[in-house]
Amino acid sequence: MTVLDTADRPGRLQRWREEGTRLSKVIVSLGGAALGLTLFGPVGLVLARGATPTESLVATLRSGELKAILAVGLVAGALAVLGGWGTYRRMPTKASREQAVAGAVLGLQAAILSFVLLRFTGGSIEKFATNFLDFRALRPHVGEFVHGARNTLILALAGESIGVGLGLALAMLASSKRAVVRAPARVYINFFRGTPLIWQISFIYFGLIVGFKVNISAYEAAIVAFGLNTGAYAAEVFRAGIQSIDRGQLEAARSLGMSYMQAMRYAVIPQAIRRVIPPLMNEFVILIKDTSLIIVLGLVQREYELYTVGRSLFADTFNATFFVATALGYLVVCLPLIRLVTAVERRLRSGLVGVVGHLEA
Amino acid sequence: MAGLPPAEPVIRLEAVHKWFGRNHVLRGIDLSVFQGQVVCVIGPSGSGKSTLLRCINLLEEPASGHVWFEGRDITDVRTDLNKVRTKIGIVFQQFNLFPHKSALDNVTLGLEKVLRMRKDDARELARRELAHVGLTEKEDAYPARISGGQQQRVAIARALAMSPTVMLFDEVTSALDPELVKEVLDVMKRLASEGMTMIVVTHEMGFAREVGDRMIFMDEGLIVEEGRPVDLLSNPVHPRTRSFMSKIL
Repeated sequence: MTVLDTADRPGRLQRWREEGTRLSKVIVSLGGAALGLTLFGPVGLVLARGATPTESLVATLRSGELKAILAVGLVAGALAVLGGWGTYRRMPTKASREQAVAGAVLGLQAAILSFVLLRFTGGSIEKFATNFLDFRALRPHVGEFVHGARNTLILALAGESIGVGLGLALAMLASSKRAVVRAPARVYINFFRGTPLIWQISFIYFGLIVGFKVNISAYEAAIVAFGLNTGAYAAEVFRAGIQSIDRGQLEAARSLGMSYMQAMRYAVIPQAIRRVIPPLMNEFVILIKDTSLIIVLGLVQREYELYTVGRSLFADTFNATFFVATALGYLVVCLPLIRLVTAVERRLRSGLVGVVGHLEA
Repeated sequence: MAGLPPAEPVIRLEAVHKWFGRNHVLRGIDLSVFQGQVVCVIGPSGSGKSTLLRCINLLEEPASGHVWFEGRDITDVRTDLNKVRTKIGIVFQQFNLFPHKSALDNVTLGLEKVLRMRKDDARELARRELAHVGLTEKEDAYPARISGGQQQRVAIARALAMSPTVMLFDEVTSALDPELVKEVLDVMKRLASEGMTMIVVTHEMGFAREVGDRMIFMDEGLIVEEGRPVDLLSNPVHPRTRSFMSKIL
């Protein structure tokens, strides 16, 4: 296998510097500057003048300076679009063509963004800011949101743990060669995939309390519901993972005298697990947001998760800034996980998992 | 095998039939293999060679007919197949090593989990088997990190470690680069010279001629002709055997 010698290959930035023409550099700089100005100009201005109190924020949003910044962004962006669009086909080198295209695209983003912001600051800014951007009101409640985020994570983690275990068991049943074993697993999986989670939460809660006379809190019942629901989805993920493992692996293990269960446990499932980690983490991200459905059960205050915290504060104050904070809370929890999924996927793809065949060491 | 009267075949197939859907792959196979024999199975693709081999350790279940191993009918549903399979080693065309385990762990897995050997004993035995196929220095390597020939030798060591009575080889060199074929065939030759009972599905006529005690030519799910490899290769009797030989030699 040839090892590519990367030492002599210039990086993209270097090639852009060396192979770009003067015009293409101007276009890409113009587009980049327009977008930078549109993105960071308003933020800088708001930060410089203070986001609280709301009156100051409103004044900034209405100010001529902000309009001027956005107008410059709009014009510069439009120029970059025109310049890039008009010239990219005639650029002499690949790097200069890419620069022209990049300039046009950045300029377009700047133009759209500044146009939207200009229109927006022309609306009822005052009303919007007092309803959605009243960050002063937020400050005393930050602790509640942190507590809520903790509860959200507890609910999701507990539900996911139940779900993963249950899902693996269901997947084994669902891939049985015997129809009598397969059928109940399929009924379960399809039922939980086919009904809304919000319905499952309420019915499991009331079903457990009334039907089974189990003394259970809403919080615990919701965890059970999340677990049962996630189990159905995880089962499908596991089933696909198990099926993706070459049949030869099962045969090799069986030919050594292993029982079916041993072959699954020692040969197939360890490989399948690696493949299902990214989709399972994806399910987890979905579950984090779905835990908000617990709101249908009514919680005591220390059990509030992110959404309930925002919702109850809104009910007390009619200030929708708390909903903005809720969304930010979910983003803070989910974004690192989403990044992690991407990183794990990349590692699994580039790694040796599931690679049979020969590579020279 | 001690205790077996010499006339008793180690493996005996009787009227074995196999269908895949509507495809009649084995159409009545009768075959006896005796202690220490090396039987080479040849034939055009789709003739049922691999299926025949896989019916011997019941990776494929015959639709009808019987398979006896060491005098016991293993097609009887009451047979503990897991026990029987530890005595029948098989090596596959695609190696089928466990990619998540090192070479050594590929070999110890069956010893520990099936034969219930202690970890230390299993590792010691596995090292011996890897040394036997010339791979002492690769024991910590993962399958993806070693060549196809090396992988196939690990697969042979994995099967041999279970101390089987019979070894089945299913076109074990077909997926290998040409320069890697010899190292695998050499291991098989030595195994044959040590007296292992072997059934070898192969396209390596040189190997069959040199090592094989018997050669079986299969076509369309039937054993068409069998005899000493020299005779079958140079003086085939059946017209179908003759036409096959003329195409490959």
